[in-house]
Amino acid sequence: MSDAILSVEGVSKTFGGLRAVELARFTVNAGSITALIGPNGAGKTTLFDLISGLTKPDQGAIRLQGRRIDGLQPHTIAQLGLARTFQLTRVFAGLDVLDNMLLANPKQPREHLIGLLARAREGHDAERTARARALELLQVFGLEDKAHDYAGNLSGGQRKLLEAARILMTEPKIVLLDEPMAGVNPTLGHRLLNHIETLRRERGITFLFVEHDMDVVMRRADRVIVMAQGSVIADGTPDAVRADPRVIDAYLGGTGA
Amino acid sequence: MSLDFWIGVGVMAGIYGIFTLGLQLNAGFTGILNFGQAGFMAIGAYTVGLLVTGPGWSLWAALPAGVLLAVIAGVLVGLPSLRLRSDYFAIATIAFAEIVRYTLQNAEFSGGNQGLLGFDEEWRAVVGWMLARLAYFKLENRTQLPLLIVVWCVFIVLLTGLAALQKTPWGRVLKAIREDEDAAASLGKNVLSYKLQSLGIAAALAAIAGFFLALNVTYLYPTVFDPTFTFLGYAALVLGGLASYWGVALGSVLFWALIEGTRFIELGLNGGQQAALRFIIVGLFLIGLSMLRPQGLLGNRAEMVARS
Repeated sequence: MSDAILSVEGVSKTFGGLRAVELARFTVNAGSITALIGPNGAGKTTLFDLISGLTKPDQGAIRLQGRRIDGLQPHTIAQLGLARTFQLTRVFAGLDVLDNMLLANPKQPREHLIGLLARAREGHDAERTARARALELLQVFGLEDKAHDYAGNLSGGQRKLLEAARILMTEPKIVLLDEPMAGVNPTLGHRLLNHIETLRRERGITFLFVEHDMDVVMRRADRVIVMAQGSVIADGTPDAVRADPRVIDAYLGGTGA
Repeated sequence: MSLDFWIGVGVMAGIYGIFTLGLQLNAGFTGILNFGQAGFMAIGAYTVGLLVTGPGWSLWAALPAGVLLAVIAGVLVGLPSLRLRSDYFAIATIAFAEIVRYTLQNAEFSGGNQGLLGFDEEWRAVVGWMLARLAYFKLENRTQLPLLIVVWCVFIVLLTGLAALQKTPWGRVLKAIREDEDAAASLGKNVLSYKLQSLGIAAALAAIAGFFLALNVTYLYPTVFDPTFTFLGYAALVLGGLASYWGVALGSVLFWALIEGTRFIELGLNGGQQAALRFIIVGLFLIGLSMLRPQGLLGNRAEMVARS
């Protein structure tokens, strides 16, 4: 497991009396495309919140490239190269599409008050480079015509795509996508998936995604992690997982093994 | 109606303008509901008054000290309370402002309800100098005019500075936090730090407004700084429109024109009734505006629609 970029080690989280995640344990290999699946309420989104620092685990450890990240602030985890999208899209509605993208540019000069005036020239250059990169990404997702529209005026599917584009703007090492295909027009959805594969191949970016479309999961993922009722019940290649009786049981509404 | 009267109204509009710029930065651009602005104003004004009358500081040295202390107060208030949900933060800031006011009212160092006098000698020298120059325009008897000029110059400089700041990547981060702070954090932005910066700048603006208010009323007493001051600032903010700095200028002028202009409505009412009527009229104006132009006079309708 030396090439694990992310490892979740016995993580649990309880909300009131509800055990949302219970002793979850798995690793994600660097440069892989890993799917996280499970019935509704299995704890997938909670797990994403735990990994990205939005909520803190009650127990267990989470490591990014060997460094413990549980307990760190969300912005610190993001700066370490872990980016995520949200199941219910979270675009900045009152900003235009291009500003949504530029905001995600890492190490953007003039984002801090100190040195804001002194670094004007450098800022303009960086902004121009970032703008070109943003427009390129928007083109991949068919959003280039919307660059100057408010993000709040986009359709649900377009918001999903903007969130995906925005996350790639951060130049992440690992990306967590929460239902990236939901509500997205199938043509654009497949463009998104193709782009993910290109990024993995060319830049070695790791992807962990939650998806309900089994066809997509089975065809696109190298590896599938299955959760049910807060626990990881299976972990393996798409074929192995598909044949696993515990998985079939969980999806057919049984209570597990 | 005398010119002197309207010069006085203009001074108040300018002071409220500076004060409300801070509310605009917080509520309009960062999405934090700062209801404690009057408290920061009191800290700024009293620091100046106390440093001049006590250890005998120069008025001009006391001003930056007052601003600095207000900024420190902003950071100290913000550190624990900015982690709260925005409505709880609003309540916490009202509580802060009231603590400041009650302390000033009851402490010995601040002179309690008797107030604080005699800190504006250096300012009166400036007024004398300016009036001598204004004699050229036959304006030497307009004793409030120097303050009007200085307040509005400072207001316009601060306004254009803030508007320029808002156009930088820094301003963009503030807006993103206003839209969705979890999403901003997930893109690597230190949300608490930006909110503290926003609150700190607002506190500095309040302190500057407090400085001019002290010069205007010539003596400091705690009831000037009750929460109503903040709420009237919000009224001016809503009139002018959220997320527009020029809207603050227009809103402040209009608010004060309405409040003071309605003084002259002749309905044969007694003093108390007349005072109440003025606020009723302003209230009706605000309600009418919210129906006809919900984004405020200079607010951006398209942005408001996109956000809803």
